[in-house]
Amino acid sequence: MTMLLCLFLFPLVFAALSTVVRFNKVVAFIFSLIPLAILLIGVESDVFYPWFKPLSINFHLHVDAISKVFLYLTALVIPFSILAVKRESRLFYPLVFALQGLLIGFFTARDLVLFTLFWEAIILPLFFIINIWGGEGRKSAAMKFLLYMIAGSALLVAAVLSVYLTKGTFDMDQLIQTVPAPWVAFIFFLAFAVKTPLFPFHAWLPDAYYEASTAGSILLAAILSKAGIYGFIRVGLELFPTYLAAWGPILLTLAIIGVFWGALVAWRQGDYKRLIAYSSFSHINFILAGLFVFYRTAEVGSVLQAFNHGITITALFLVAGWLERRLGSTSMAAGSGMAKYLPNLCWLTLFFVLSSIALPGMNNFIGELLILFGVFNLNKWLAAFLGLTVILSVVYMLRWMQRVYFEPATPFRPSYLDLNRKELLIALPLIALILWVGFYPSPLLQQIEPYGYFSQR
Amino acid sequence: MDISLSANDYAALAPLLILLLGGLALLLVQTFWEEESDRVAPLLTLATLIAAMFAAYQAPVSDNALLTPWLKFDHLSRFFTLFFLAVGVGITLLASPFFQTFQPSRGEFFFLLLSAIFGLILIGASADFLTLFIGIETLSLSLYVLCGYMKRWKFSAESSMKYFFMGSLAAAFLLYGIALVYGATGTTNFQALQLAPKDSVLFLAGVVFISFALAFEVAAVPFHFWAPDVYEGASTPVTAFMAIGTKVGAFAAFVRVFMETFHQFNPLWNNGIAVLAMITLIYANFVAMRQLEIRRFFAYSGISHAGFLLLPIAVGTPAAEDALLYYLVVYAIATIGAFGVISFLDNKTHGVDFSQIKGLFRRSPWLAAILSLCLLTLAGIPPTVGFFAKFYLFKVAYQAGYYALVIVALLTTILSAYYYLRMVALMFADTPEELAPPTKYFSPTLLVVASLAAIALFSFFPGLLHLAIE
Repeated sequence: MTMLLCLFLFPLVFAALSTVVRFNKVVAFIFSLIPLAILLIGVESDVFYPWFKPLSINFHLHVDAISKVFLYLTALVIPFSILAVKRESRLFYPLVFALQGLLIGFFTARDLVLFTLFWEAIILPLFFIINIWGGEGRKSAAMKFLLYMIAGSALLVAAVLSVYLTKGTFDMDQLIQTVPAPWVAFIFFLAFAVKTPLFPFHAWLPDAYYEASTAGSILLAAILSKAGIYGFIRVGLELFPTYLAAWGPILLTLAIIGVFWGALVAWRQGDYKRLIAYSSFSHINFILAGLFVFYRTAEVGSVLQAFNHGITITALFLVAGWLERRLGSTSMAAGSGMAKYLPNLCWLTLFFVLSSIALPGMNNFIGELLILFGVFNLNKWLAAFLGLTVILSVVYMLRWMQRVYFEPATPFRPSYLDLNRKELLIALPLIALILWVGFYPSPLLQQIEPYGYFSQR
Repeated sequence: MDISLSANDYAALAPLLILLLGGLALLLVQTFWEEESDRVAPLLTLATLIAAMFAAYQAPVSDNALLTPWLKFDHLSRFFTLFFLAVGVGITLLASPFFQTFQPSRGEFFFLLLSAIFGLILIGASADFLTLFIGIETLSLSLYVLCGYMKRWKFSAESSMKYFFMGSLAAAFLLYGIALVYGATGTTNFQALQLAPKDSVLFLAGVVFISFALAFEVAAVPFHFWAPDVYEGASTPVTAFMAIGTKVGAFAAFVRVFMETFHQFNPLWNNGIAVLAMITLIYANFVAMRQLEIRRFFAYSGISHAGFLLLPIAVGTPAAEDALLYYLVVYAIATIGAFGVISFLDNKTHGVDFSQIKGLFRRSPWLAAILSLCLLTLAGIPPTVGFFAKFYLFKVAYQAGYYALVIVALLTTILSAYYYLRMVALMFADTPEELAPPTKYFSPTLLVVASLAAIALFSFFPGLLHLAIE
């Protein structure tokens, strides 16, 4: 059996196994690291089996420079989401492992039907994760999430079939740079835009991110949004570059509106989980903006930033979850002056906040700089305008820090216990990753650079 | 002409003969050993069905001139025969917990079940309109009684009466249509009809009547009005049988008449079916969202699947036939699995409410998981095999140029995803009051495990099912 197939199948096997045998957190965590280990050992580039002959669907997985970045992100984030689980439940591990397997399938699928299949299949575990472990309004949030996702990609099958009719194959290798009917490309982009989400398709996002448990929010923000970005790269840049270029200005405008919209709404939040949700929305649109300027550097920056955002948002939702456990609420009014009682959590949060607002030396700085560089080449003033959001993100993030950690302290409560050793241990690899990309991004950039379908400018 | 039947011909007919003998034996058991029949009848039924399946699997092809004008012994009829017998096995397994709860006499139930399956096999193997009609009538007459089988249930009598009146009307339509076709062409034999001219007004009028009758049987909108009430009033095993057996039987008739005999005779007809499919899809999916009782819910879900299944009928190519069969098998496996799970919960006369499946996961995680899988398959959500089944239909329809139909079908899948997943979400919800875990029964356990295994297998290897159909 090949390594790539192992990478795809192992999580699914674990998912099946964990329905029968009861896993505890440590066992589940160790199992969830196995894909990372496989990736580090190295996987070959292709797996090809004829799968469903009468429909000419092949089970074709393919790993290239771009898939690898997203695969690493998946392999890194899933273990953290497992560690973030509050109370163990029999159903959680099967769902997370299934999600991991499906995501690996999605990020490597080279057959358009397979791509669609995984694209829609990853919704399901997330739906359950929101629905079962979320907050008060989880049921309606999960349903809203689901309906948006399904509505966004409902016509995808028609679009896939239409592409099939032009060339008579589903294999993406042979579909490179096809020019299908405009509506086909539109449906693909719509599906990606809803899942990422691009402004104005984000109505499901605040509720879903807010109502989900910490683990659920991490999965949604760190990975699901990347599925949309990956779709824009894989299908947008590879299969339909003509349409992506033609509609680039509109998409870019929407993305930039999204960046500001997210930042401004985040500013107005009285709840720090919602604040992080909107900040994530803003940053994701920033990544999309980098993709829509058709400038090589910006595109490389976007891919790098997709990775960075995944790491940083995981860290932010983790510390927000820890803070919630101590305050008993995600409202900013629930307590203040926490720096007095929770100094370690305060510094840790500050570190991740600084990463999020792209302080030099942190991971996001590199990515956002590359994107801004690309935008600058397109239009100086636009770059200056977009640069403003960096300031906005400082404003809303520090507002949170100030409200909860630095204002005069509320009376002590027994739940105000500072970080324990386990939590510090969990945070450590995230800090290391953030600093590593911040100070020494070239290995990652070298990983991204060879991708063959970036714009030529 | 040689008019005797050889051993080979008897072997070819063996599945039907075995069913006949088994049914008669059941009646004898019920008459002479009434106390024993509770225990013996289901086992005897299972033995009969399995023997018939074995016979059907081994059945040779008969070329006796006595049989061939009436029955086809081709690949498709073997497929349908095996399919209907398998459905019969499933329903028998499903019926035993039902009768443990409600306890009416059972010998004649299984006799009626066997005769309904006999009718279904006749439809699937028919080579002449008369065989087809006899098949449909054998099926319907058994079902009229089966619907009213729970004599003490008031709405069961209502269900039976409704079905009887509507069904006789449909039978009259069918017979009238056949008569008109005969008047136009001078034959009722499918092979002869393939060559007959198909443009006279008389012929077209006949086809319209036949189409109406078959649309009634598949419960396509606007010929569906009987379905919800009848499904709700019948007992759960009978509802399951109607949802699968009757539906597939009606589509078998569609295949025999319109895909083989009147193949592409007039594009107008195909477009008419396409419109029918659209109306059915839209109406059924909207109404299904509002259902709160399982049998009624499955009536509407069944109508919406009839809408999907009309796609390949409208297309009418050989590839469409494969897609249709593929979808039928997937639909049958998932539906019978779902009914298998429901049979564990079925302890009230009016059926199973949605409130009873609420929090099912806490009480019985396996049942909840299997029911969820079946519902996801019905919704066509990947990575279940239901996705491939739908994809197959859409591909065939899209290639034939039915773009609008495909788009309507895709959009209505959003609605169906909503109501199926709402049910799934309900199972994983917390229950305010702790209900007792469902009673354990042996035979439906067998059934749900089998359907779970089938769905899992075909989800991983969708090509396998296609090979089985080929």
